[in-house]
Amino acid sequence: MSTNLSRRRFLGMTGFAGLGVAAAGAVSGCSSGPPAGAATWSMWSSSAAEKKVWDDFGKYVEQQLKVKSIASLTPSTGYPTKLDLQLVSGTASLVTALNGTLIPTYAARGAHRPLDDLIAADPDFSLDDFYETSRRIGSFNGKTYAIGFDVAPTVMYYNKDLLKKQGIPLPSRTEPMSWATFRDLCKQLTKPGQQYGFTCAPAIDDLVSWIYCAGGNVMSDDAGRSTLGDPEAMEALQYVIDLFVKDQVTPPIKNLVTESSLSNFLQGNVAFMQNGPWQVVNARKAKFDWDIIPFPAGAAGSKPRVSGSSFAIPSGVREGAELDLAWKLMKTLTSTGALDIYAKAGRNNPARLSAGSAFQPPPDNLGIVQEILAGKLAGGHAFDVTTNWNQVKQLLGQDLPRTFLGQVSVPDAINGLTPRLDILMRQHLDTVRQATARKG
Amino acid sequence: MALSTADTAPSVSTPTPTRPTSPPTPRWRSREALTAWLFILPSLIGFLIFTAGPVVAAGVISLLNWNLFSAPTWAGLHNFARLGPDPTFWSALGNTAYFTLVSVPLTIVVSLALALPLNQGVRRVAVFRSLLLLPYATITVAVAFVWIWLYIPHDGLVNAVLGWFGIHGPAWLISDGWAMPALILMSVWKSFGFGMVVFLAGLQAIPQQLYEAGRVDGTSPWNSFRHITLPMLSPALFFVIVTSVIGSFQVFDQALIMTNGGPGTRTTTLVMYIYRTGFENYDQGYAAAQSLVLFAFIVMITAGQFLFQRKLVHYDN
Repeated sequence: MSTNLSRRRFLGMTGFAGLGVAAAGAVSGCSSGPPAGAATWSMWSSSAAEKKVWDDFGKYVEQQLKVKSIASLTPSTGYPTKLDLQLVSGTASLVTALNGTLIPTYAARGAHRPLDDLIAADPDFSLDDFYETSRRIGSFNGKTYAIGFDVAPTVMYYNKDLLKKQGIPLPSRTEPMSWATFRDLCKQLTKPGQQYGFTCAPAIDDLVSWIYCAGGNVMSDDAGRSTLGDPEAMEALQYVIDLFVKDQVTPPIKNLVTESSLSNFLQGNVAFMQNGPWQVVNARKAKFDWDIIPFPAGAAGSKPRVSGSSFAIPSGVREGAELDLAWKLMKTLTSTGALDIYAKAGRNNPARLSAGSAFQPPPDNLGIVQEILAGKLAGGHAFDVTTNWNQVKQLLGQDLPRTFLGQVSVPDAINGLTPRLDILMRQHLDTVRQATARKG
Repeated sequence: MALSTADTAPSVSTPTPTRPTSPPTPRWRSREALTAWLFILPSLIGFLIFTAGPVVAAGVISLLNWNLFSAPTWAGLHNFARLGPDPTFWSALGNTAYFTLVSVPLTIVVSLALALPLNQGVRRVAVFRSLLLLPYATITVAVAFVWIWLYIPHDGLVNAVLGWFGIHGPAWLISDGWAMPALILMSVWKSFGFGMVVFLAGLQAIPQQLYEAGRVDGTSPWNSFRHITLPMLSPALFFVIVTSVIGSFQVFDQALIMTNGGPGTRTTTLVMYIYRTGFENYDQGYAAAQSLVLFAFIVMITAGQFLFQRKLVHYDN
């Protein structure tokens, strides 16, 4: 039999083979979704240690629900974009993790469903075991849209070795120091070019704690206008900027994008770092003795930002068996058992009071996190955000960092920002009105 | 002169029996044309799905108010009207133009300056060519992070080198005046390799007889470069200019990683603003309107370049 292959025949076969491969790819692509009945959930994960925690969550879910758990893990920087595309294309998981600052953004646009009906219909579930601040973070427009898995106030980390070396008495473990004392300490501990008193991120996320402590806020109570120009907020902004520009008690800013307070603190030559307990797991790598204390108290006391993350159910989840499974999954992921896994791994303070005992030292004073949340010590302030918080943050991120560099004065920066912030606040109110109307 | 009957009689052609012929096959249905279409098809399908389709979709989306999650509503030309009073849009457009106007000529000069000596029979030219092409072959994210370290104000390599000459270097990436030049410098370093390889190919295609004739006529090296090299290299030059301008208008990743558009909006580029508008602010309609304006700019500039090339670009044939 002849085995000669003409060029035409070869091309024809190649063409058909190509079409076959393309068709097979298309078919397999269409059928590559999760198996029916699987408990799918999405979460950010940027390290092997984080992945280990979520793998353990997955095992716990399978053990509790007796169904396959499929977690879609994405690095934190790309998580929101991926989630958006999944929500739009109807391929989102049954349950999705949300950063607390984005809950109003998603809720107002109808991307996630309210959970009140599911909570009311389930006698086995109660929100009472969740910290009040976590419940507030998970709500929008009077409805619960998300259930927290972690919540924590910003605290002040300090390098015990550095203070001891300088002969400075260690600060009180429970009583917040005043701003004046804090500034004096920072100055005392600074040796230009070698050692610094304080570090924080040159961004609104860190500034807002000082603003709350001074009795101010980013927005008015009705979120209708910016209040950054009010005396309380201005006092706070000027205080922090002075630490950077006038007192120069902070390490020099090398790059506004990559500036990391944790990285500065871990160098061992910075006395105080403003950060949340979610960095405890990383700070444990420090080669010096350190601990945490309550945030310094301003005119309104010690009321740093309290932030948290939650799980929510996308609106695209269909009523019936799919929604039933989503709700069961949601309950499991936020159960005491699951949050015990999370807290034991040291990731952050769990949102449930009953899981609190799993978040254990080091550092020695870690217990203040739960005492602050329970209102027994110092205080905290839920991170107030708008339904267009990305835009607000973006705008503040443009001009505020320049004040840290001394390129622009605080009054000039705020005067320039306020009209544009006011427009965003009005747009936020419009979005809230539309969301209210849509829900009847 | 009498005319013969043969001259005057009407000629009568004898009908020859012919087979009935079918109308000629149109060129596009010929076997060669069909084969050509078959080869083009994969690329064409890709173009329609991933390029033409999104452009048409952007045109439609630009006429809508759409936050991604809710049903879109009709906006007409409102999204285009929003461009006028939006200071960030104009700032981003200005930054992009600044980037393009400085980075493209610089890249071309550097590429050509490196291609010319490499064309002079340098030993191990392949090694040099490969080394110089490395920055272009490296992903921008990695390059951007390396340059962030190089630009560190106090102990970065760039300022350390400047310090050897008694120059106190600026805080590159956080300085109002230096952030954009810093991005341009990094981008030129990243992309000169591509132009260099294209120029090198163009230089190697120039017939040596032209230079020999020039030498016989006593042409100086500068005149030889000006009157032989540049005209003969003009198609390659044109190609590099067009691709560089288009690439510069789309600059995004290095600005996002190295400065995040700051300080202020000094390095916010148009593509970065489009991305933020669409995917961080969930304003898809406005983002689509901006992207169409960018598309129009690129089309106009490229069309202008094509018109201009008729006078300045010399093709061998």
